[in-house]
Amino acid sequence: MKDTVLDILEDLTGSDEVRNDLDIDIFETGLLDSMGTVQMLLELQAQCGVDVPVSEFERTEWNTPNKIIAKVESMQ
Amino acid sequence: MAENLIKAIDRWGIETPTKIAYDYLGKTNTYAELKAYSDALASYLVELNLPKGAPVIVFGGQTFEMIAAFLGAVKAGHAYIPVDAHSPLERIEVINEIARPAACIAVEELPLELGTLPVVTPAKLAEIFATKATYEASENYVAGDDNFYIIFTSGTTGVPKGVQISHDNLVSFNNWMQTDFGLAKDGICLSQPPYSFDLSVMDLYPTLTAGRQLTVLPKETTDNFKELFAVLPKLHVSEWVSTPSFMDICLLQPTFDAKNLPELTHFFFCGEELTHKTAATLKQRFPEAKIYNTYGPTEATVAVSAVEITAEILEKYPRLPIGQAKADTTIVLIDEEGKPVEQGQSGEILIAGPSVSKGYLNNPEKTAHAFVEFDGRPAYKTGDLGQYDEAGQLLYKGRIDFQIKLHGFRIELEDVDHHLDKVSYVAQATTVPRYGKDHKVSQLIAYVVKDETKAADFESDFKLTQAIKQELLETMMSYMMPQKFIYVDSLPLTANGKIDRKSLMKEVND
Repeated sequence: MKDTVLDILEDLTGSDEVRNDLDIDIFETGLLDSMGTVQMLLELQAQCGVDVPVSEFERTEWNTPNKIIAKVESMQ
Repeated sequence: MAENLIKAIDRWGIETPTKIAYDYLGKTNTYAELKAYSDALASYLVELNLPKGAPVIVFGGQTFEMIAAFLGAVKAGHAYIPVDAHSPLERIEVINEIARPAACIAVEELPLELGTLPVVTPAKLAEIFATKATYEASENYVAGDDNFYIIFTSGTTGVPKGVQISHDNLVSFNNWMQTDFGLAKDGICLSQPPYSFDLSVMDLYPTLTAGRQLTVLPKETTDNFKELFAVLPKLHVSEWVSTPSFMDICLLQPTFDAKNLPELTHFFFCGEELTHKTAATLKQRFPEAKIYNTYGPTEATVAVSAVEITAEILEKYPRLPIGQAKADTTIVLIDEEGKPVEQGQSGEILIAGPSVSKGYLNNPEKTAHAFVEFDGRPAYKTGDLGQYDEAGQLLYKGRIDFQIKLHGFRIELEDVDHHLDKVSYVAQATTVPRYGKDHKVSQLIAYVVKDETKAADFESDFKLTQAIKQELLETMMSYMMPQKFIYVDSLPLTANGKIDRKSLMKEVND
């Protein structure tokens, strides 16, 4: 699971930093913008089977690889 | 509607003064205010004795004061150049150099000085708007072939091009919007794209000249999805204008449908390819609504062709057509010599008609290259490839050059390369689009050869990428930023010794 999420993030951000630093803020650092976020949610749906209610999507709850992994795990 | 567009808008300030023209998250302004504000600004500008006909920069975001400033400028006889408040300083400087404007109206604080250019500061503007000056000098109004607005787009050499749209270009577009789509008289139109992007013209003038209401969805709201979906049902919009990319965000929310947004009856898309998937999902959610795919470059005033996406169209076309030209316009497909191709063949899309711009501001070379005459009418060579099918629908087939659309924004890849090349840590670079299965660009990838000396101090490629992005943002619009940076020892070259972008494109997309 963790690897799948990191693969998705690495592909979308084009940087392995998301693997090196699991607490990096992907929005603050400009690694992911709002269209990238949409792609991330679609990939999480396709590859991890989690449906994230976008109306509940708070950036601050999804801004690091660690938080995203925890979210996905809790939703499976 | 052959009357002057300014008069058409002002009429509502007199006939329906209390009617709401603009709603910014609950803060509303009326047509009377729009008239009063723009009259006051026009009186002030006329007093300044600015060079006749010279454009003025209007700097700011998505606010009522912005559109009042646009209107004030054209009432005083000056075309406006909308410059977004998020623009990098260097871009503002370059636009100033190219356009040689007579003044700048800073709706938001201008973050730099522009030589000796007179600037109306936000404080001064507030003072002007508060005066009760009346302005009757309609002989000064922008009219006929005078420029109404000038919008800057990406240019291949890193220098943006200012597309001059005249009053009559805009009339041609506006008439089409008023007559062909059955818009309700008391409709409320969503205003989402920034004013520096010509898609915003699709909501602004068809709404204001018909005395209807604009309801704004600012970037701060659209960036925060939770906020976006909390706000959307409260807007009660009946017409929707956006890029398909923005619709993709909205469709992620299952309750974005006719049951929850019953007022929404019309959807207009432009700026990039509308994919079958997006259109089909939307049709499913809003079975009764009218969905239009429209097509056109900034150079021909927003859009020149449209097709209603019906169940039949979805059934027949796996890749959606871009429709048929509006009645006053001809779309011809031409070959490399500029001659119309045989029926059924593909060719470069040439647009001829009254909404075609007179060309790029102060750029005769680029103007001569793209603007021609066809059958005695002004015409624009789009660089887009098209093909007509047997039903007369125009199909989009891609580009003949390295221009791309990313989330609706038009980007010349050479422009991004140019900015990258200037970054201190970069020895050489080129940019390549990655396409999704839906033919849309999903990512922009930069291939970079580092400057070994200057880039030596970075402990990781990530840190280097951060530093490069930082430098880029000083000169380049953020929507042009590559999502991915790949560091290589050298870039592939063609037989002529040029960077072989095509081979990298193949590598990325195979």
